[in-house]
Amino acid sequence: MSWHDEIAEIKRRRALAKQQGGADSVERHHQKGRLTIRERIDSLLDKDSFDEIGQSSGVPEFNDKGQLSDLQPANFVLGIGAVNTRKVIVGGEDFTLKGGSPNPAGLRKSVYAEQLALQYKIPLIRLHEGGGGSVGGTGQDKSHRPIGEPVFAVSRFLPLAQTLGVVPVATAALGPVAGLPASRLVASHFSVMTENAAVLIAGPQVVKRALGYDLTKEELGGPQVHLKSGVIDNLAVDEHDAMQQIRRFLSYLPDNAWQRPKKIDCHDPVDRCDDALAHIVPKNRRQPFQMREIIEHVVDQTSEGSSFFEMRRKFGPSLITGLARLNGHSVGVIGNDCLFYAGAMTAAAAQKLRRFVDFCNSFHLPVLSFVDEPGFMIGPDSEASGTIRLGTEAISAVLQSRVPWASVHVLKAFGVAAQAHFGPQGYVLSWPSAASGALPIEGGVAVAFAREIAAAKDPAARQAELENMLAASQSPFPRAEGFSVHDIIDPRETRPKLAAWLDLSLAAQTDPPVPFTFTMRP
Amino acid sequence: MLFKVKSEVAGVVWKIIASVGDDLDTGAAIIILESMKMEIPVPTPRAGTLKILHVAETDMILEGQEIATFLSLDEPT
Repeated sequence: MSWHDEIAEIKRRRALAKQQGGADSVERHHQKGRLTIRERIDSLLDKDSFDEIGQSSGVPEFNDKGQLSDLQPANFVLGIGAVNTRKVIVGGEDFTLKGGSPNPAGLRKSVYAEQLALQYKIPLIRLHEGGGGSVGGTGQDKSHRPIGEPVFAVSRFLPLAQTLGVVPVATAALGPVAGLPASRLVASHFSVMTENAAVLIAGPQVVKRALGYDLTKEELGGPQVHLKSGVIDNLAVDEHDAMQQIRRFLSYLPDNAWQRPKKIDCHDPVDRCDDALAHIVPKNRRQPFQMREIIEHVVDQTSEGSSFFEMRRKFGPSLITGLARLNGHSVGVIGNDCLFYAGAMTAAAAQKLRRFVDFCNSFHLPVLSFVDEPGFMIGPDSEASGTIRLGTEAISAVLQSRVPWASVHVLKAFGVAAQAHFGPQGYVLSWPSAASGALPIEGGVAVAFAREIAAAKDPAARQAELENMLAASQSPFPRAEGFSVHDIIDPRETRPKLAAWLDLSLAAQTDPPVPFTFTMRP
Repeated sequence: MLFKVKSEVAGVVWKIIASVGDDLDTGAAIIILESMKMEIPVPTPRAGTLKILHVAETDMILEGQEIATFLSLDEPT
């Protein structure tokens, strides 16, 4: 007696499941320039590290004798694998089967992905391509009338929300992603999409019928739309790039909120003082500069290039957000980009800042802030988009931070919005180019001295005279004298100063890390 | 192939830098906008020959407005 027959049956079922949607369907998928979910998982994970869960799950078909004749696999592939030797949960829809719209076992496995991540407290990666429910029923046996979930069932959307507070979640849109998978896609800390992907609440036909718009999938939810809408953080040139970006994103983070990010070896001298920092900021206040260059000169350089990994560049572009390393430590980096509205805080930039700061707090990333803030964005569009509320919300998030926070005051720090760049008990270094006050000189003088300027013989000359006089009052030297900043520094000293501060700050963290919580905000 | 360059910010055209017929490299400025009291260049994202300039100095430009039409250099005409 032995179990050989049953063991053979297990083997047969596994082989059936590996066929996915069948050779023709897989071939059609490849012709569209896309990988199958199993190929995607292999491309994401360390070689041969995938340990699949529920590989025999699916919809069975039986012959007249009641023997299994075929097995349509669950169209969500799920398992545990390794990314740079760290264990992660990974899953994704199988588009080659019913376009990724869930079959019964597929739905169960997709819902289980979050529960696994919560149970084992390791990062979660979802690779999405597929539609949501169908009017004929979702995840149900079509021969039966839909009876719904039991009343006592826990909503599948709860673990989706819970994961964000405790484990890093990264997602990718690698084809059309609609309905439920689109909702799962955005329930993440980092999302990436390929050029030929589209993210939609509902597709072109539904939109045409309900609203009359005749739009393609790409026009509705392609990268041009969603990098700006903030639904997607980064664009990937192809699927391989999408996987590389996810691997890189995870490299800065701990496995969960009960751990701190791990330090790596740093081969970039901590006392590196780049000369460029002394002349990137122009003396002429009308001329823009590249804040990204400043960031690159300060953070670690590695053998593979800069350690700065920017996220969400196109959304709220007046604010730069990204991850980097300083002396081998993971840090969150923010900075103003004056090429977009002088770096002013728009409604989108405020949302971007709030979300980024909450993310840094969730995974205990210290923040480096490079400040060139002229204030909240002004004008009718800004008022109509509720910037003042979103901006005040962002300031609240910054001041409720519990991570070490250092600010490099590069150029402007004006108005209420300036508060969004200085964290609680933060370390503040001022560059000689720094200027601060209630309003930037140019606009402020015209308003505050309107009558005096109008009454002058030469109004333009009087305005220039007042502007020069008041510019002196915005100088960083008096603030350094008054010890209102930790120090005014030679910009070239920025890296060693920040690295020394970071070592001290991290060494002072004696409490064990816990998930981040906060109260109601504006 | 023709391609259009749009402005990513709103502002007023302060200076026209490039002329119709010019070959511009990727990242070269076409015009400079005055936006929030700063001089903001509008660059071409790809190399090309400037065919049509859709704006003139002192024009008010909206976010996403078309600035110029180019013929790309990297493809045969």
